[in-house]
Amino acid sequence: MNLDFLAVAPTVAIVAAVVLLLMVDVTFKVGHRWWGFAAALGFIGATTASVWQWVEHRGADGELFYSGMLSVDGFSSFAGMVIFPVAGLGVMAGWQLVRGVGKRGAEFVALAMVAASGAHLMAASADLVLLFIALEVFSISLYVLAGFSRKGDGADEAALKYFLLGALASAVFLYGVALVFAATGTTSMYGAQSFLDATLILRPGVLLAGIALLLVGLSFKVSAAPFHVWAPDVYQGAPGGVTGFLAAGAKIAGFAALARVLVVPLGGYIDDWAPAIAVISAMSVVIGTLFAIAQTDLKRMLAYSSVAHAGFIMTALVAGPAGVADMWFYVATYSLQVVGAFAIASVVSGALTGKSPLSDFTGLAIRSPMLAAAMALFMLAMAGIPLTAGFVGKAAVFRAAIDADYLWLVILGLVAAVGGLFFYLRVIVLMYMQPSAEGVPAPRVPLGAGVAVSVTALVTVVVGFVPWPLLDWVRAAIPL
Amino acid sequence: MTVTPGWYMALAAVLFVIGTGGILLRRNALVMFMSVELMLNAVNLTFVAAGRELNVLDGQVAVFFVMVVAAAEVVVGLAIIVAVFRRRQTASVDELSELRG
Repeated sequence: MNLDFLAVAPTVAIVAAVVLLLMVDVTFKVGHRWWGFAAALGFIGATTASVWQWVEHRGADGELFYSGMLSVDGFSSFAGMVIFPVAGLGVMAGWQLVRGVGKRGAEFVALAMVAASGAHLMAASADLVLLFIALEVFSISLYVLAGFSRKGDGADEAALKYFLLGALASAVFLYGVALVFAATGTTSMYGAQSFLDATLILRPGVLLAGIALLLVGLSFKVSAAPFHVWAPDVYQGAPGGVTGFLAAGAKIAGFAALARVLVVPLGGYIDDWAPAIAVISAMSVVIGTLFAIAQTDLKRMLAYSSVAHAGFIMTALVAGPAGVADMWFYVATYSLQVVGAFAIASVVSGALTGKSPLSDFTGLAIRSPMLAAAMALFMLAMAGIPLTAGFVGKAAVFRAAIDADYLWLVILGLVAAVGGLFFYLRVIVLMYMQPSAEGVPAPRVPLGAGVAVSVTALVTVVVGFVPWPLLDWVRAAIPL
Repeated sequence: MTVTPGWYMALAAVLFVIGTGGILLRRNALVMFMSVELMLNAVNLTFVAAGRELNVLDGQVAVFFVMVVAAAEVVVGLAIIVAVFRRRQTASVDELSELRG
């Protein structure tokens, strides 16, 4: 048994901070300053632990711990270095919501932290059963967070839809785990890998059905078409303060799990799953872009755009192990843009309400130039305009797909990226070229959201101008 | 005729399909939720049958984890359904249509 404290340090840091937060809160009733302090403690501790893991175990130095349950490698530690800061920024951006729900704010912070640790475990688990548990820790926390506001414009509807479809996706994923177990005789990913490498399966029906179900279940979680139907309703109905966290977390965790499951146990079957990934990717890109054009609500539009982005990220995965680094680059930069964009939406339309009609943004440049500039930056980055992180990400995933001989997918992606300009630029036109409605006050930017927007905008610009360090780092963010 | 684990796996597949059908066809949130539980139990049956067939304990052990996770899911799921019902006096997902576009 290979026991090592460093292997579980990020999880322990988060859980310890959650326990501390809740215990001190019930005993002393200190209020939201204490929640913020405890959350900062947990997120900073977990990020530090992930960086430490990165230093010790990145690249070829990955190791398995706890009887092959947990893998600590460049992949999991990079995931931690993305998830915990992004989750911290997401919670900061939603601080108005935390303060607006009274005593329940402590639960909100605790659930967000538990969800973040579940997301990290999804990237770190080396066993399919542990992966399922991590997936549920993450998802169940998010079901609650999606319905956290009781101000009644659809948060309960969003929570119910998220719950029913999420539970369906989890069950499908779990059946995939069971079938892969039936075909290989082990739930360990690395055990399954060595079994499949050493054995020629003459009738691979059960295994292929398992792969298909795993793909469907995880596609649900990352909201790739045609399994995206929950995303628009949930993004639109969930309170403004939580949507950014929800959207970014689901992408990071979902793609981390998807990449490891595809590359490690099923790496030898790439000829079977790569075409399926390509088709899902193509459908997501097309459906996401087309539906986003027709939306009149910013959060709903961003939901369809996130479907398209799920497709772009999957474009990298058709290359198999060679595409994992490019996937990480895209996921890391996109998750920051999403947190920033939803933080602005929550400032403009309210952190406790779900809907965020585009009309709220007319003339925002006059009322609040800084917010409008940041929003314009995020829209341009998501559209993939050069000198933003979004451009480098798209270039990276497209190159991975070209190297894997999926030229048609890249051409389709380029066409969709041009089509995407239409709805991203529409937001900018609304903000800059339309007069503001009479008597609408300038939105007041709370400190937390302000910090979150500034940090995410800064990183988006810096990575856009100087992408090489990050491009270098993700080369070491590969599974063991 | 002996009933081999293969039969149990076939039964599990049938139960899983029935559960999926329930989710897709029924309109009451509670019944949809019951269908999810049916799917999870079908998976449990697959785990146990496969573990028996392959003579490894992993299958039985996995079932315990699945049951615990399913119980946690029930807690949150029923709470959400009750919250929706208290606001709208209905648990039919067809009437939940504020969010669309």
